[in-house]
Amino acid sequence: MFKTSPLRKRQLYGGIIGLAIGVLAIVFFNLKSSEEYISLGPMNAGHDDLSCVTCHADAKGNLAQQLQSNVEFAIGLREKSVDFGTQDVTVKNCLECHDRPNDRHPPHRFSEPRFKKAIKKIDATTCITCHSEHNGERVTVASLNYCMNCHRDLEVEDDPIDVPHIRLIANEQWSTCIQCHDFHGNHAYEVPVKLNDTIPMAVIRDYLNGGRDPYGDSKKHIGLSEPEWIKLKLQD
Amino acid sequence: MKRIEENPLLIIAVLLFSFMLLQSCGGVPEESTKEMSSNNVFSVSEVLEMVSKENDVTRTLYTKAIVGKGKAQGMKFDEDWRKDDVEAGPLPALFLRGVATSIKKGPVPLGLYLGSDFPVNAANKFEGKQADLFKKIKKDQEPQFFYDEDQELHTAMFADLASAAACVTCHNKHPQTTKDDWVLGDVMGATTWQYPKDSLSYKETVDVLNSYAKGTVDIYVQYLEEIKAFKESEKPSIGDKWPAEGKYLPTPEVFLDSVRKLSSYETMKKLIAAKD
Repeated sequence: MFKTSPLRKRQLYGGIIGLAIGVLAIVFFNLKSSEEYISLGPMNAGHDDLSCVTCHADAKGNLAQQLQSNVEFAIGLREKSVDFGTQDVTVKNCLECHDRPNDRHPPHRFSEPRFKKAIKKIDATTCITCHSEHNGERVTVASLNYCMNCHRDLEVEDDPIDVPHIRLIANEQWSTCIQCHDFHGNHAYEVPVKLNDTIPMAVIRDYLNGGRDPYGDSKKHIGLSEPEWIKLKLQD
Repeated sequence: MKRIEENPLLIIAVLLFSFMLLQSCGGVPEESTKEMSSNNVFSVSEVLEMVSKENDVTRTLYTKAIVGKGKAQGMKFDEDWRKDDVEAGPLPALFLRGVATSIKKGPVPLGLYLGSDFPVNAANKFEGKQADLFKKIKKDQEPQFFYDEDQELHTAMFADLASAAACVTCHNKHPQTTKDDWVLGDVMGATTWQYPKDSLSYKETVDVLNSYAKGTVDIYVQYLEEIKAFKESEKPSIGDKWPAEGKYLPTPEVFLDSVRKLSSYETMKKLIAAKD
């Protein structure tokens, strides 16, 4: 039954080798230690220890069902397409670990109609606008003048700093904001009152690129580690 | 033997078999929009009015019975209540912000925001369409409904009145106030509510109401947690009693129970009418 023609041996060995390579590839790419080879790029600062599955959950259904659903959608037999392979990563995924009650700029606030103009310039409703993953950095936003989109009319009563906020704004010195205030307000940090005492821009840039935290080690909130996140998931 | 590409019947058979194999799995289950909308019994405006009324009752209760009476007992309420060095509870506007945050964390796609034409925090100032509609609200206190095409969300705005003396005095005296002559009964701002669908089923309506109720409990629990961490201030006793009786605060269950007693009649009438 399993006799093979001597003239077909090449195809048989080819088939066996191909199957073996396929099985090995499936095993290899499913190992946690192989995830770095699948990843689109290096993980951002603080995310080095995370597995793919912490953000990329399996999509609903098996691959055949997903394929069928999307083919049906393409030819108009279905109202909505479905995720293929893994679910889209959304702000909810980020908040599972990073949500905190005292966030100074929580993403949901920017869903309000009055921020419509601002979010056309910088979409603060989603984390990835500033924290695009797989870049090996902490903050990936191109320009640090984003505060200008909402705070142009800022007036500080009894302004404590030597160069008043109103003058910094008039001079369009928007990068000075981050030299005193971290965007999410997550540091117990004594804000300086002299502009010369603020954190130098080079140090800030290094931090945003993944370097040392210049606002200090005293953080109000620490994101969940993967084991903590898994524990939370299992409780749900 | 014929090669496979020379045998069209075999190709058709293979394709047919693959198609049947794929089809036999069935797709990912889909909820049909048409089927779902036939079960819808409330318009989005009706639901947002219902939840807005629940909000009015809850906020009034919190403002008068917790903040107003609590202050008289020496309890503190502060806009910086979450700061480590501040031992205080949330002011009513921040209580509402807490509710909104809790709703956003949940699965119900309901949005809740507070704004004004003279806000204490400049970021809460209405702009564009909201500012125009708020002018109307100030005149007649009637709710305004519109569809936000950019966000694809049904949006409703409801008047937020100065219902307690605490609202007026606090806003008038605030160092960053942009208006210091508020009086009781003024339309101080408006709550904005958003929902993605134009009509809701009975279950979805109950989910919206429950998500709001859960939000009030969540923020109230956070306040009680904050009290646990007080180092210098006297901690009120938490139980069945309210600040009107002394240095007491109700438990979250007692608080929610009171909200339900005050608000449920109108809401229940609508829900029961729809069920019938």
